[in-house]
Order: sequence, then structure tokens, then C-alpha cells
Amino acid sequence: MDELEFLKQNWKKQEENLPKLSYDDIYKMIWKKSSSIVKWIFVISIIELLLSSLLNIFMADSSYWEQMEQIHLKQATIYIYIVSYLITFYFIYCFYRNYRRISSTDDAATLMHNILRTRRTVKTYIAYILISTGLYSVVIAYFTIQNHQVVEQVEDVSKYTFDTLQWVKFTVAGLIILAIFLLALWLFYRLIYGILLKRLKKNYKELKKLEI
Amino acid sequence: MKKELEHEFVSNLEKHQNIVHKICRMYTNDQDSHNDLFQEITIQLWNAYPKFRGDSKFSTWMYRVALNTAITLYRKSKKDLHTQDYDEVSFKIKAEVYNDEIEQQLKLMYKAVKELNDIDKALVFLYLEDQSYKEISDTLGISEVNARVKMNRIKKALKNIINP
Repeated sequence: MDELEFLKQNWKKQEENLPKLSYDDIYKMIWKKSSSIVKWIFVISIIELLLSSLLNIFMADSSYWEQMEQIHLKQATIYIYIVSYLITFYFIYCFYRNYRRISSTDDAATLMHNILRTRRTVKTYIAYILISTGLYSVVIAYFTIQNHQVVEQVEDVSKYTFDTLQWVKFTVAGLIILAIFLLALWLFYRLIYGILLKRLKKNYKELKKLEI
Repeated sequence: MKKELEHEFVSNLEKHQNIVHKICRMYTNDQDSHNDLFQEITIQLWNAYPKFRGDSKFSTWMYRVALNTAITLYRKSKKDLHTQDYDEVSFKIKAEVYNDEIEQQLKLMYKAVKELNDIDKALVFLYLEDQSYKEISDTLGISEVNARVKMNRIKKALKNIINP
């Protein structure tokens, strides 16, 4: 006979030896706090969203605006900020909508898909922040250099142009900032995908195998 | 109203707690983890209970939420040790004549099932609980054909584990 069939026929027999919880035991349990991965993902995602938007706010102090005025980018920066806040709110809205969709009463595949999608929103947001910050830095660098060239015709050239050491400092500072960003990103993803989602991803792949 | 709902839920779960215990036994390896998972399943069931409209049986609805918790939502504790006595699932019933050989075979079979991956374990569990392929595919969110194909593969794999 089929081995599994044999186990099936005797399956109910283990019930005699299962623990028996009382009404009160179960009643106490319903007030305990959940420690599901969804809760962790929610908390970590919110921290990521907050950190990335706070970074934008704190970087823009008064000296930053002065600098922007000097290189004729103040107006453009204001517009860019408005657009970037709109995009941030849109991402937060998407994240919240995806998060609300996660339900333990869905079938296993849908549940896993919804959890992965919620994470993907945050991942896309962080990629957006990094790419837009990178692009914007290039624009600022370009305008800074451009403005130096304009002034240099009038005054002493050496005061305004970068010498080699300044160029090295400028490049190193840029690279350090980039490295910090990448390190932070790597840490987030180690944390989320390494610890929380490894099992889920593996199971999702397993479940979807053979599915057309 | 809330009190009534609490009472209704706890009574239902008390009545059907075997289902949850069987899932905990399949997905954990020691008593502490068993209790942890039981608690998380209870919390998830209670959170989802207002959405349970009685359009399916309480037990069928339970399979879904409980398995989702065991497979996806529950964070496995690192302490989940593989203890020998915990694996000793007993299939004996008092009234029955004790048959050591059958008992040993069942234990071996159960151990083989526990070695399967999370998804295959869920499939086998639902099968052992006498759920139809339609119900299995609905619970897991895969097609019925896929469920059958997977099940055949699992049967073959189990055969190999038992009779190498």
C-alpha cells in the first residue's frame, strides 16, 4: 500500500496525544502581541521611508539655499523639492495601500506575493532617492563649475578655480557620500532580505514552481 | 457584542485546537517553539476572525490562516532545536492492541514528512487531513493540476526516504 495512504489511515490516532489547552489558556492568548514578519517589515519600511525623507530635509539648511542662489539654482531647487515631496507622498500612499492588502485569510501564494510587493515599493523608493540624489548632485556640480568660469574672467583666476588638491577633496567627499549611501542600502537589504524574507522568497519560488 | 465575539471565537478554537497543534508539531522541533507558533496562530486567527463570515466551515478557514502563519508570517526562532523525544509522535490509542511494528513504521513515515520543505509539508498536511485537491489548491493559491503533480512527486520522494 501507498506509504502516505498508510499514514493517512492512522493520522487521527495522534490526536489522543496532542496537548489540550483550556478555554482560559486560549482566551489569554488572544490579547498577546503578534510578532509576525509583517509587523517587522512594516516597522523597518517606515524607518527607511522616514530616514530617506529626513535626509532630504536636513541637508537643505540655510547655507545650502544660499549656495543654490549663488549658482542660480534656487528657483529650480524649490520646484524639484515640490516634485520630490509629491513623489514621496505617492510612494507612502502605495506602501500603505500594499500593506493594507496583506491578509492572513488570503491563499498562501497571494499572501506571499502581497508581502513581497510591499517590500518592492520601499525598495523602489530607495532606488529613486539614490538615483535622483545622484543626478541632482551632478547637476549642482555642473552649475557650480559653470559659475566659477563666469567669474574667473573678471577677477583673479586662482581664487575661484579649483586647484588639484581641491579637485581631489571634492571627488573624495563625493565618493565618501556615495559609499555611505551604498553601505546604508546594503545594510537595509541584508537586514530585510537576509533575515526576514529569505524563507518567504524560497517558499514563494517553491509554490510557484510548475505554475503556468 | 465584543464579548460575544470573543466567547464565540475562543470556544470555536478550543473545539478545533487539534488542527493547530498538528500544524505546530509539523513545523517546529521543540515544545517552546510549538507553544510560540500556537500563540502566533491564535493571534492571527483572532485578528482575522471579524472577516470570517461563516461562508466556509470554521475548520476550513482555520487551515488557511494557520498554515499561512506557519509558512509565511511566523518568524522561526533560532532556538528551534531538533529534540529527539519531541519527534516521537505517538499514534497509539488506548483501546487498540499495541502493535510495535506498525507504530515504528508510522513514526518513520512521520519523520520523513517532517523533512520535506515548508510547502510540500503543507500539501501533505492538507492531504492527511482529508482535504480535496480543490481545497488544497484554494488554500495554497496554486492550480489543482499543480497540486496533483506536486503531490505525486512528494509521494515518490517519501517512498525513496522510507525505502532507500
